[in-house]
Amino acid sequence: MIRADAPAKLEGRIRFGTDRTRPGMLWAALVPAPVAHGRIRQLDLDPARRAPGVVAAIGAAEERALLPGRGAEATPIFPGEIRYRNQPIAAIAARSLEEARAAARAVRAEIEPLPLLADLDSVLPGWPEEGLPADAPINAHVRARHGDVEGEFARADRVRRDAFRTSGVAQVPLEPHACIAWIEGEVWHVLTSTQSPFGVREDAGELLGLPPERLVVEGSWVGGGFGGKVAALVEPYALLLAAASGAPVRLALTYREEFQLTRSTLPARVWIASAVRGGHLTARTVRLLLDTGGSLPGRDFATGYAIAFLLGPYRLDAFEVEGYAVRTHKPPFGSHRAPLAPQCTFAADGHTDALARDLGVDPVAFRRAHVWTAGDRTALGQEVGPFGAAAALDRARALQEEWRRSMPAGTGLGVGLGYWSTGTGAGGEVRLSLTPERLTIHEGEREIGSGSVVRGLVAMAERTLGLPADRIVLEYGDTATAPYDAGVFGSRTLGALGQAVGAAAHELTAELGRRLGAAGPARLGVEGDELWAAADGRRSPIAQLLTPGERDHGGLLRTGRHYGRSGAIDPARVHAGEFYAYHDFTASVHLAAVQVDRETGQVTVLRYAAIQDAGRVIDPPTFRAQVEGGVAMGLGTALTEEMLWGPDGRLENPGLLDYRVPTLLEIPPIEVIPLEGFPGAGPEGAKGVGEPPIIPVPAAVANAVADATGVRLYELPLTPERVARALMAR
Amino acid sequence: MGFELVAPRSPEEAFRLLEEGAGAASVLAGGTDLLFDLDRVTTAPRRVVSLRHLPWRGHAWQGDTLVVGSTEPLYELERDGSVAARLPGLHTAIRAVGSRALRHRATLGGNLARAAPASDLLPILLALDATVEIAGPAGTRRMELDRFLLASRTTALRPPELIRSVTVPAAPSVYLWQRVRPANDISQVGVAIAHPGPAVYRIAVGGIVPRPRRLPGAEAGLLSDPPPGPERVRAAEEAAREAPFPSDRRATEEHRRRVVRALVERGLVHLAGGAA
Repeated sequence: MIRADAPAKLEGRIRFGTDRTRPGMLWAALVPAPVAHGRIRQLDLDPARRAPGVVAAIGAAEERALLPGRGAEATPIFPGEIRYRNQPIAAIAARSLEEARAAARAVRAEIEPLPLLADLDSVLPGWPEEGLPADAPINAHVRARHGDVEGEFARADRVRRDAFRTSGVAQVPLEPHACIAWIEGEVWHVLTSTQSPFGVREDAGELLGLPPERLVVEGSWVGGGFGGKVAALVEPYALLLAAASGAPVRLALTYREEFQLTRSTLPARVWIASAVRGGHLTARTVRLLLDTGGSLPGRDFATGYAIAFLLGPYRLDAFEVEGYAVRTHKPPFGSHRAPLAPQCTFAADGHTDALARDLGVDPVAFRRAHVWTAGDRTALGQEVGPFGAAAALDRARALQEEWRRSMPAGTGLGVGLGYWSTGTGAGGEVRLSLTPERLTIHEGEREIGSGSVVRGLVAMAERTLGLPADRIVLEYGDTATAPYDAGVFGSRTLGALGQAVGAAAHELTAELGRRLGAAGPARLGVEGDELWAAADGRRSPIAQLLTPGERDHGGLLRTGRHYGRSGAIDPARVHAGEFYAYHDFTASVHLAAVQVDRETGQVTVLRYAAIQDAGRVIDPPTFRAQVEGGVAMGLGTALTEEMLWGPDGRLENPGLLDYRVPTLLEIPPIEVIPLEGFPGAGPEGAKGVGEPPIIPVPAAVANAVADATGVRLYELPLTPERVARALMAR
Repeated sequence: MGFELVAPRSPEEAFRLLEEGAGAASVLAGGTDLLFDLDRVTTAPRRVVSLRHLPWRGHAWQGDTLVVGSTEPLYELERDGSVAARLPGLHTAIRAVGSRALRHRATLGGNLARAAPASDLLPILLALDATVEIAGPAGTRRMELDRFLLASRTTALRPPELIRSVTVPAAPSVYLWQRVRPANDISQVGVAIAHPGPAVYRIAVGGIVPRPRRLPGAEAGLLSDPPPGPERVRAAEEAAREAPFPSDRRATEEHRRRVVRALVERGLVHLAGGAA
């Protein structure tokens, strides 16, 4: 058995957040704002209160009454000013879901419409050619530079400038957000489908004004997260309804709401210019406008992180980047597997690919000549650690030559190069307990589907303790009982929690060694039903090594923690906003083979290879699944996925009918090629691979289309219509 | 809220149940389209009449004509090799509908009665000159599909009438479509061409307004067998000119026009024995 959760999932026995119930539970529905920007003059909940089955109907006034202790500076859960269409302005709890929904439709609101900021084009049509208006709705401004940028461009013998546009994409977990909330005395509880129980405690606690000891969050099994479940979303509403009704309240988003309220990657506009002298890339300038929707000022996390990807992983003598996070009336920007990195890499790597072709140089060789290797400095001045990009590019070039020989004429081949970092800075802890029968890993994360918890953490315990997987169990706690962990995101689970397992295992084997009277740590093993420990030729069943207290109360306990440290950027290069240092350097080099229908514009991906800088592969099947999943998801970003908002701020495709994720029929055979030997921040030098495999996909596909047709696309996704139009315009 | 689900065993019972629920009854014949409306509450019937127990399932050849019961799931036609061999265009169109799981549920009668403008089945059935057998309390009547389809989502059915069967004469035929995502998506356009006899070509297009229809102007220029290149190009251009294309969130008018032109020419090449 590769994964302990597989049988229950295959047989449909796993209970996800949407499957959970609680005795006496009420059902909740949200009341959506009918405009994208407006001020609520009056909210009439009485028609809903009079509707059959309704137990509680709450809006901003009820929220204030339910949270008397909350500080005045807190952001209200139910807004006075609506910031995006369908933003919940009230919520209903009723005895059935149908009654809750019917009552939600009965709520009457008097709303004064306010001017709408629809998109980047209408809000900032002139930037960067024109200056920024004084009243521009800006959430964040980032700017960094180094070296003689103007001089390098003046001395260049070749300059290329490109402009790109990218689209908003949704995470599309099969399970929508779902939770059940209830109140026990002073303590508010919520059971929720989340990537981060402790993150929900923090977010919801802040919104509700509850200290950590008064809010307990328990994770359920998660039917997919992809970044969409890292922060609180449905929990505050359910908790307020539970407080208002005095009963447990279940709130699950409908699939439509999952699209409408999702906080995900929003559209961006990118401008890149590169200077080349004597065949060498010397300088690059970048401008970025990022739609951050209804994000609140000061909450931007994406702009400074994303903009660095536009420089590419290349040695540069000089650079300048400047970007703005722009406020519009869409839902707030949120995480989506490597937020914005696939889009930025599409732009940066497409630009680099085109630049090489301008110079008459093989695009892979051009990247190879400029790409970082250990000891180089990033544009922001951080020293680069072990980085597999050069080796992966060599591999890709050989593979490309092989494919070129074997595939039919007209096939386009494209390479994409992306990079990422294992997010081990967000810390985590685990507690191991050893009994005569088994090892238990106590930790706070539920499996979100990737296997990083049920397989990754168990694999680490297997490797560090020498026990077989069937003697290792995971025990999940809630935020009151489990050791702290930041969450299953940022490609960090194995990197951070895996190291914590390793640290706790180290303590455990050292203690067992001492108890055996040996000089060094013990090894564990199994004989019959019994676990034993051995060191220095001494050997004993675990039962005999435990104290009576340990035998009666949960075994021998050891805690492990991991808080990773990043390198440092050079603060002198940062002129505005926040930029971030990396914990390690993870390269992903992909090769795509496509066929392009020149009349209809249809792009068919025939074959795909993903070379993944892995540091060290801890569990090959899980590694492979992560890379395949990343490629599949990236193909959606590349070819079909696009959130479409109307001029009134309405999402026009809130469902799987017109928001097109790839099906198995569009996903080609994927060759997954691990590259080891360039160690990263995880255990045994492993690098996180949750996010990296999605990053180079749009770039690889677009570069392949350019190879097949001679025409480059500057806008994602590469729908047939966009491709056909570009081919016609040639 | 909520509705009564009934599954009559005879047509007479079905007519009675529909008449009783006049104005507030919906017909369920697979449900792959109706369920969207129920979910979004764009339709809120008090009664849903399922046709699953009516004795209208099945399909059979009568000479060179395929007769399909209206409640026959599309998958039954998909897996019948004789349909693929004798009505290749219809077979391709059926395989273009949704996913395989959906085709186990979706029925031919349901697809026709819902008359969706982007239906993949309507263009090929128009090109093949299909006829519809309509059953009602007063007996049955037959109608050419072209007359049956009045407008987008509007047919000649007069409640409580139901489609009983669809008759499709065998002919060399081809169906080509274009989508953003090849599998399980809604076609931006669909081009169907039937070639029932020497120098006879019937061309129908879907994804146009108000509903799929034949393009007599394009057909009229096809005088040779097989039509030589310039004749094919003229027919393709005429089709792209003749059909009234909409612009919507799935495609612009310009893209639909461009694709129809390409697909008509490819379809004619295919019927002449070349690769489509």
